[in-house]
Amino acid sequence: MFGKGLLKGMKITMVRFFKPKETVQYPEVRLPLPDRFLGKPEFYYDKCIACNQCVAACPNNVITLKTETVEKKKIVTQYYFDQQYCLFCGLCAEACPKDALKFTKDFELTQYKRQDIKLKFVNPEQVAKKKAEVLQAALEKQAAQEKQAAQEKQASADKQIASEKQAAGNEAAAGVC
Amino acid sequence: MLENIFVSSLNWLKNLMAAVELPAPLADMLILVIKLAAILGFILINALWLVYMERKVSAFIQGRIGPNRVGPFGLLQTTMDVLKLISKEIIIPAAADKKLFLLAPLMIFVPPLAIFAIVPFGKGMAAIDLNLGVYYFVAMASLSTVIIWMAGWSSNNKYALLGGMRVVAQMVSYEMPLILSMIGVIILTGTLNMNGIIQAQEKVWFIFLQPVAATIYLIAALAETNRTPFDLVEGESEIISGPFTEYSGMGFAFFFLAEYANVLLVSVMATTLFFGGWLAPFGWTFLPSWFWFIFKVYIMVFIFMWVRWTFPRIRVDQLMGFAWKVLVPLAIANIFLTGLGKYLFLS
Repeated sequence: MFGKGLLKGMKITMVRFFKPKETVQYPEVRLPLPDRFLGKPEFYYDKCIACNQCVAACPNNVITLKTETVEKKKIVTQYYFDQQYCLFCGLCAEACPKDALKFTKDFELTQYKRQDIKLKFVNPEQVAKKKAEVLQAALEKQAAQEKQAAQEKQASADKQIASEKQAAGNEAAAGVC
Repeated sequence: MLENIFVSSLNWLKNLMAAVELPAPLADMLILVIKLAAILGFILINALWLVYMERKVSAFIQGRIGPNRVGPFGLLQTTMDVLKLISKEIIIPAAADKKLFLLAPLMIFVPPLAIFAIVPFGKGMAAIDLNLGVYYFVAMASLSTVIIWMAGWSSNNKYALLGGMRVVAQMVSYEMPLILSMIGVIILTGTLNMNGIIQAQEKVWFIFLQPVAATIYLIAALAETNRTPFDLVEGESEIISGPFTEYSGMGFAFFFLAEYANVLLVSVMATTLFFGGWLAPFGWTFLPSWFWFIFKVYIMVFIFMWVRWTFPRIRVDQLMGFAWKVLVPLAIANIFLTGLGKYLFLS
């Protein structure tokens, strides 16, 4: 029949009219994100061992890491994550042996100022605290070592005395024979 | 009580004027001014509401929600849009014909206002009960062609000119089937008075007696209001916004709102001619006649919107061919058959 297609179209739009709507009222309602979604990165300073593997893994040179050696121990003093170049491949998080770098599900990354795009994960207080901890640990270790060394010395001295005594006894015994 | 709320309040006003001994000509004039002001208010509020309704209907058809932020359910969205447009600058192109350019948006509301003056909104609720109602409607409705052409010509812009020419071509072509489809109804009733036509539909609506005429009327009315599938006049993807290209601010808002006033107008006419006007269906007279009238008009408006958001735009050559080769012969055949039927029935 002539005009059948028109009626078909009208029927489709009428069905659409009563169907539930697709729109999500975004800021108030959010769709659930997939499990493997990679959003804004997160850095756990205390877990980091400054191994530099994340820096090496990144294809875009997003991560800059600066370290300082305190008492033979590497401490992270600066950890910059220049997000504008990040392609969210997640290789850095994969490379990390201590799970110190993770991607959250926060995808609202816009900033008012350009310099705010570069994420600065480490603050000076954390560094100072860590340094103090390392120093403290080093001091304690040293003290413990000294103590142990003194004990060992004592022990070895005692042993020597004992063995000397034994040797003297043996000699005496031999003389008796 | 509810049935006569408007009529009785007007009578009360008349009595009040008689009581304060206003001279009769002045009182009559005041009453007329009040009636026309009420109609103007009706048109403007409806235009605002119809823009909102259009956005909601289009959104629902496309699986969206539509405006829902300004006011409850987004009801104040169009009000705010108009306020914004009022605050904007009216830019007049340097090469434009300034007088015509500014006159066109001022005049665009005149034909709808003039036509609504004769529309019977309910039982005995026509502002002016004109004997030649349908004839007057046809005469006034064709005036908006000239005004849109004025806008297109005075803009001195090639897109506006193209749009204006399309307006003239399209609206003149489609007026033919529009008027011819009305003649079928007029043959049946033998009157041009809109109240008379409505009263003649007491037993059966004319859509059942004149289905072909009703279909032709609906198609031609779509073309007359320049809406999809006949929106070649505006045709955003081809000629920006047609005759309204150069308009900004309130000038544009007037054209925009006038489009909806015209949609309301053709819906009112369809209701009057084919759907029994203010007559209650199935004898449900517990609701007032003006409610039924508005209700039917809004169903018609919804059908126009439904069509608009379903079909794509027709091509220019198809447009003309369809009007002159399909609709006009069909309408003439309908007139002939109606006349024959009436002759056989009467003899």
